[in-house]
Amino acid sequence: MTKYLVSRVLRGLLSVIIVVGVVMVLIYSCLDRNLIFANDPVFSKHKSNAQEVYKMQQWEYYGYVDYVPYADFMQQLVSSGEITQPEFDAAIKFGNRAQQDSPAAAEYVRRFSEGYEAEGYTVVRLEGKTRGNTNKYLDGGEPRLYAYRDVPLLSRLWNYLTGLIRVDNIHAVQGDVGKRGLTFTLYDPAYGGEKFSPAIMGNGTVHKYLLYFDDRFPYLHQNLVTISLGKSYSVNKGIDVYHTMTDSQGARDMTMITYPSGNVEMSADDIHTAVYVAGSLAEGDAVVKRNFVDDYTSVTTRKMGLSKLGYSFVIGIISVLLAYALAIPLGILMALKKDKLPDKLGTVYIVFVMAVPSLAYIFLFKAIGEHLGLPTTFDMESPTWLMYVLPVISLALPSVANLMKWLRRYMIDQMNADYVKFARAGGLSESGIFRSHVLKNAIIPIVHGIPASVLGVLVGAIITERVYVVPGAGNLLTRAINFYDNGVIVGVTLFYAVVSVVSVILGDVLMSIMDPRISFTSKEG
Amino acid sequence: MEELIDLREFGMSDEELFSPADRDELASERITAPKYSYWSSVFRVFFRKKLNIFLLVLLAVIVAFTYIYPAVIGYDSAVDPYVNLLDPTAKHLMPAQAMEKFGGELKWILGSGASGQSTFDAIWYGSSISLSLALVCALINMTIGVAVGAIWGFSRKVDRFMTEVYNVVANVPYILLISVIVLILSASFWTMVFALTVTGWIGIAYFIRTQVIIIRDREYNLASRCLGTPLHRIAMKNILPFMTSVIVTLAATEIPSYISYEVFLSFIGMGLGDMSLGKLIEASQNAMLTPGWELEFWSPVAVASIITVVLYVVGQNLGDASDPRTHL
Repeated sequence: MTKYLVSRVLRGLLSVIIVVGVVMVLIYSCLDRNLIFANDPVFSKHKSNAQEVYKMQQWEYYGYVDYVPYADFMQQLVSSGEITQPEFDAAIKFGNRAQQDSPAAAEYVRRFSEGYEAEGYTVVRLEGKTRGNTNKYLDGGEPRLYAYRDVPLLSRLWNYLTGLIRVDNIHAVQGDVGKRGLTFTLYDPAYGGEKFSPAIMGNGTVHKYLLYFDDRFPYLHQNLVTISLGKSYSVNKGIDVYHTMTDSQGARDMTMITYPSGNVEMSADDIHTAVYVAGSLAEGDAVVKRNFVDDYTSVTTRKMGLSKLGYSFVIGIISVLLAYALAIPLGILMALKKDKLPDKLGTVYIVFVMAVPSLAYIFLFKAIGEHLGLPTTFDMESPTWLMYVLPVISLALPSVANLMKWLRRYMIDQMNADYVKFARAGGLSESGIFRSHVLKNAIIPIVHGIPASVLGVLVGAIITERVYVVPGAGNLLTRAINFYDNGVIVGVTLFYAVVSVVSVILGDVLMSIMDPRISFTSKEG
Repeated sequence: MEELIDLREFGMSDEELFSPADRDELASERITAPKYSYWSSVFRVFFRKKLNIFLLVLLAVIVAFTYIYPAVIGYDSAVDPYVNLLDPTAKHLMPAQAMEKFGGELKWILGSGASGQSTFDAIWYGSSISLSLALVCALINMTIGVAVGAIWGFSRKVDRFMTEVYNVVANVPYILLISVIVLILSASFWTMVFALTVTGWIGIAYFIRTQVIIIRDREYNLASRCLGTPLHRIAMKNILPFMTSVIVTLAATEIPSYISYEVFLSFIGMGLGDMSLGKLIEASQNAMLTPGWELEFWSPVAVASIITVVLYVVGQNLGDASDPRTHL
């Protein structure tokens, strides 16, 4: 069994990697990359050569190309000590046209072009555009020289996958940070140093706190292993998808906190998220200097609301529990009263949910809810339990129909099976047959779907969250697609794929636990 | 006792009446079971339910309005929605007001929309696009899906390969694929067909594959194979008839699901460029909350729902009827 599971997990991982590769090909190679400028006001402000350079810079930022301007190449030569500052100054300025280059510039331009062309780059030289016969450049018409190439798929994939998981260690940051090492404390200084709260802190690590307790679910937190699914370019600029999904939202949560300097004040800063930023204390403003004693100054703020994933999970998990709690008794009732009123009513309901577009009945629920005076939009600022009612119902009722349909089918199939007839002929009571034979067998395929529906709630619900304005994870992908946010698209896809692969494997495991006849090890045959 | 036959009625002599008859070798070979025709039995079972006749009539009415009505009134999607654009008093009218303003024509029976167009006309034009899209997509996906699924189920080598392909394709977000294709090829009808069919068949193929595997190893097929029946004969004569009802039932869920999917895609802003039902719903969703304008939103929703429910129920019942076990 273990061997089988390991091979399943490995094959699952492989298909997740292929999925990420396919998605990368789709968004980086198939899409017209000029589309990202369609709604960019900055793009049209740039003219002539400057516009070309702006395009390149944006494409590099969005991850399409490797872009190297001539100046960067020269700067690198200086910092590596290959050329001196005077040589740099002589060669950095190149002419409007290749013929007008000074001898020094011509030499380095040649080296630049040959070097990058050999590596598969395309070298572009945009000639200077002057106004008439004067020496004045047109708007954005300065000469430009740069090299670029598309990032190859395999190296893109490799870089992405290797950057996914990072383990923090005491040699993670460069520069002078004092004595590197880990400290263990029983009294977390963030609580004033008197409250009992164990924590592991590091110096030389990226995060100051590696393990700590606080008052938020799941209470014990760690920063030792960080996941980076990919940076967002436009949806949530500069923030990793992982944080976009898991950081709390809404109004700031102000509490009395003790800063590392000992300063106590009302603030929403979460000291536990402190990250090292080189030189930030020396360059920081008065507030930073008052509160911090080292370069671990970059903190996130605590917000009142849940994270995107949190809202999707809360709504989803309640609706899943509700769906199973309703569907199992109702499905059993339909099967027991086959062709009678309960079965017919249930069938009408199932047909309604199966056939009618989901959008239609979600709007119907919304309209009904509005008549009943339930809140129809989600408000993070003044949360009430009532605002969960409509989204939960909209999610639960369709899955009730689906579960009922299948449970009824499986039950009726089992009730017509020969072993049931035999049991009845043998004199077993109807309720005994039902409980220990029919239900037990019929529930197995239902059990297989449980991990998928529990984990599936993490993915969120697109329409429900849109209709009720829930700040959940469901709309992340559609928003990212609309904003051409490639980092988010790849990150979210990876997340979806992992969820789906894991839930299928867990479903199989759960099924084989429920039904000892099912064994995956001897399946070959 | 009273019903004894009087032999004298026949007017025959005793010799004639009691002479031994010849044994007919041919007649003894004939099977006296009633004549059975599969498809006539399917329709006999189907029309036995009064509900099905009603639904078929309803479906005929819907199809007539969807395809014939716009042609009869000469609906032009480039002109008709905008004829009243400049008349502010023509917009968002209730049916009664619209009929008062424009006369009691059929087209104003549902009032007018945001640009003064007839909601009734817009709905039927929209449903012609949505229904055509669903039919074309279902036809393509079902054809490819059933063919591939049959091979997939039969060959173990193909199975191993296709299962891995399925694992990958099923995990590429559908919305992403569709939006990428739409962005590359512009949002036309045939782009949408391509986007919905490029990977849409694989789910159907997987379903068919599972069904084929279940039936493939049944005892009667094992016996048939032992007797030396060639594979294509087993596929055509032993398995395909078994699959008919499964395929019909599947088609019954597929066609409405494409209509629902089109509505969903339009709602999240990734749908067609044409004013399909989904686009109509999306464009009028703000009207839902405005008193007096609700009809603009609810009538396309209702029409979409009626079309899908009718198609679904007719298809399910046809699927039931095409299962030979119900023919007794």
